[in-house]
Amino acid sequence: MTEQILTVSATTEGPVTVLSAAGEIDHDSRQSLEDAAEAALQDGSRSLVLDLGAVAFCDSGGLSLFVDLHKRTTTRGGRLHLASVQPAVTAVLLATNLDRLLPVHATVGEAVAAARPTG
Amino acid sequence: MGEPEQLRWFTALRTILDRSHLWTPEDVPLSLNAAVAPLGLRVRVWLVDYEQVALRALVEPGGESPDPVPVDGSLPGRAFARIESMAGLGRDGVRRWWVPMLDGTDRLGMIEFLVSGKTDADQQEFVRHCEMLAGLVGHLVATISRRGDHIDRTRRTQPMSTASELLGRILPPLTSSTDRVALSAILQPCYEVGGDGFDYALDDTTAKLVILDAVGRGLRAGLACAVALAAIRTTRNAGGDLAEQASAADAALTGQFPDTRFATAVLAELDLDSGRLRFVNAGHPPPLLLRGGKLVRELKATGRMPLGITDPSGEVAEHILEPEDRLLLYTDGVTEARTADGDRFGLGRLVDLAEQHERAGLPAPETLRRLAHAVVDHQSGPPADDATLMLVQWSTPAALNTVARAGQATREDDTRS
Repeated sequence: MTEQILTVSATTEGPVTVLSAAGEIDHDSRQSLEDAAEAALQDGSRSLVLDLGAVAFCDSGGLSLFVDLHKRTTTRGGRLHLASVQPAVTAVLLATNLDRLLPVHATVGEAVAAARPTG
Repeated sequence: MGEPEQLRWFTALRTILDRSHLWTPEDVPLSLNAAVAPLGLRVRVWLVDYEQVALRALVEPGGESPDPVPVDGSLPGRAFARIESMAGLGRDGVRRWWVPMLDGTDRLGMIEFLVSGKTDADQQEFVRHCEMLAGLVGHLVATISRRGDHIDRTRRTQPMSTASELLGRILPPLTSSTDRVALSAILQPCYEVGGDGFDYALDDTTAKLVILDAVGRGLRAGLACAVALAAIRTTRNAGGDLAEQASAADAALTGQFPDTRFATAVLAELDLDSGRLRFVNAGHPPPLLLRGGKLVRELKATGRMPLGITDPSGEVAEHILEPEDRLLLYTDGVTEARTADGDRFGLGRLVDLAEQHERAGLPAPETLRRLAHAVVDHQSGPPADDATLMLVQWSTPAALNTVARAGQATREDDTRS
């Protein structure tokens, strides 16, 4: 498939990188998000904010990437935050109970505020 | 039927059993025919293919292979579907009986008995004998299929992926019934599984079940599924409760795979005395409860996170079932199956079909065969995900519905005497 079904852009502010995804996250498309997250962590980001405002679909391939990024950020003292989660993706998070693991925020601003180190 | 007749059947059974110790899978057709020839019979063993679409003849090396017989739309197929012996007449004018070949209650295929010579004095007695022979051969075929590839090869219409090969050897029989419960499962696409699996253990008082969907695809997912099932099984066997079984799967998955592999699952125990169902839902679609041929509820529960993500909450939910209740468990590959233009199979279709087949009184494995095929047919291309279904019928009549009919008649006789 040549058509890009997931595009990702990254903005870094200090120890927090915001990854804005647009499209569908599944087993095939998740690589671009994985690469962007990998690059942010390599560059020293401790926490990641995943802006899912333009993501209408996410399957277990996407969920396992979220869990993976959760593990990798927590081991370095940070966290993965999800922001602007759309209804279909919220449904998947609730169905798998992964909303208990991954903090979800209404807006990217709130997520960034939560991700920023306090003190 | 007189004693000499019964003695001839006894001799045939003894001959089959004696020879079977040294059988290879290739020996089965000729050896069986040699044993039943004194009864004036010829037999042909038909095995159902793994996708449960057609019956395929088990032939001796170099033997001529007849065309497969479709399960849908044929007399042998109807007999297979209903688990009922049926009489037919071939184009050759030879009378024949199509008799279910089961390993216990696991449908392996059919045995075709070709009857030459005199009419039987007592037809019901004749069919009972055929079913007895088919019952023995079913057990033997199941055992001997591990000895060589010929039986397995006959059941395959295409090569299996490594993941399917791995899982095929660790899953229990698709169907197992006891006096009190009928339990059946099905997993599609059977040649290309990618992380779905199931397990169960039946004893006199409890039915313990697991349905599991490991994230990912192919062998990567298959390995995670195999590891999780093995961890659950060994913990259960050692007396561990549901939460301990789930924790064992967490430990095995996180210990074995440094990358993230998790599996959604339902682990359940049904008490066959009280009907008390206890279950842990690890991020999996909720089990469905059917009563009187209708969905009464989805058994929603708080549950825990998927296996492989340590979750100390491990909440065990409870629900009291009524006698004759049905429990249908499934993976999301069933409801998420899509047509080319994105139409989901959905819960509505699943429930409608399950209700319809329940009301038609189909045996549990046949209900699941039809449900699984409906899911496959719904998708235009190859399935995007595994679809697994498990049906538990807390019902003695349903259990009897998974054995051959003449066998049922015998049972009723036994209870009366």
